[in-house]
Amino acid sequence: MTTEAKLPTKRYFEDVQVGDEIPRLVKAPVTHLQLVRYAGASGDFNPLHTDPKIGEMLGIGGIIAHGMLIMGFLGQLLSDYVGPTALRKFGVRFKSMTRLDDVITCSGTITEKYEADGEARIAGKIQAVDQNGDVKASGTFVAALPKRGGE
Amino acid sequence: MFDQSKIGQSFPSFTYQVERCKIHELNLAIGDENPIYHSKEAAQAAGYPDVPASPTTPTTFQFWGNPDFVKHLVAIGVNVMRIIHGEEEYEYLAPIYAGDVLTGVTTLVDGKSRQSKDGSSMDILTLETRYTNQNGQEVLKARQVLIVR
Repeated sequence: MTTEAKLPTKRYFEDVQVGDEIPRLVKAPVTHLQLVRYAGASGDFNPLHTDPKIGEMLGIGGIIAHGMLIMGFLGQLLSDYVGPTALRKFGVRFKSMTRLDDVITCSGTITEKYEADGEARIAGKIQAVDQNGDVKASGTFVAALPKRGGE
Repeated sequence: MFDQSKIGQSFPSFTYQVERCKIHELNLAIGDENPIYHSKEAAQAAGYPDVPASPTTPTTFQFWGNPDFVKHLVAIGVNVMRIIHGEEEYEYLAPIYAGDVLTGVTTLVDGKSRQSKDGSSMDILTLETRYTNQNGQEVLKARQVLIVR
């Protein structure tokens, strides 16, 4: 694995305001190979996500993506925004099925800034939608951010 | 109709060693190229002791760490072929890094049946898994809502 990809820049509590939008993340179209990879990586081998015959049999018209892959996209959005160890809470509700070739866009808004348990925290809402604007997953998060001069 | 007497029941605990390669593989599938998820050197250069768990890495703890999960669901009367994943929520209590050894205990914290307008019924189950690391520190609470149609 090459490590040429850039590290996200560090974000401070003071940099974030209520109402701020998290920079959008537009993912590449979902592919069958990606779902096979995700099955192996996550350990969720439900054939609904990898075997087109099962999807046909169940009458859902082909394979559907793992909900957790979509949550993974939202996790990438948040990890890019606050860093990997800043999240305190992250929850989503799965709203509709994602199919092959769907292009998922993740977005979010900051809804709150507060201090709790000795930490400066932000809270926000997030969602993942497809190319038609259909919501696939939506939810909320809480993250702790460092304060300037506080380290 | 879901058997309410199963609420509060915990499944046997399981142990899972957090693997650097698994975090790498999961983020490859997601398409998250942040180098700290793919290389120990990059993670250490960024100030972490090892590759950190990415936000949804806990899904690997459940599926790879607890291969009997489905069996346990069957044992409490769940038709696993009809499960839809409704919600997932993580509460991160302390950082988790590659090399950590986690012990997880999953408890059925809620279960109810609901009647749809068309007369069919579905069960809504809430499971919570608490993870403790090798130092006895609670690091993660994972809450999951499964809908059984």
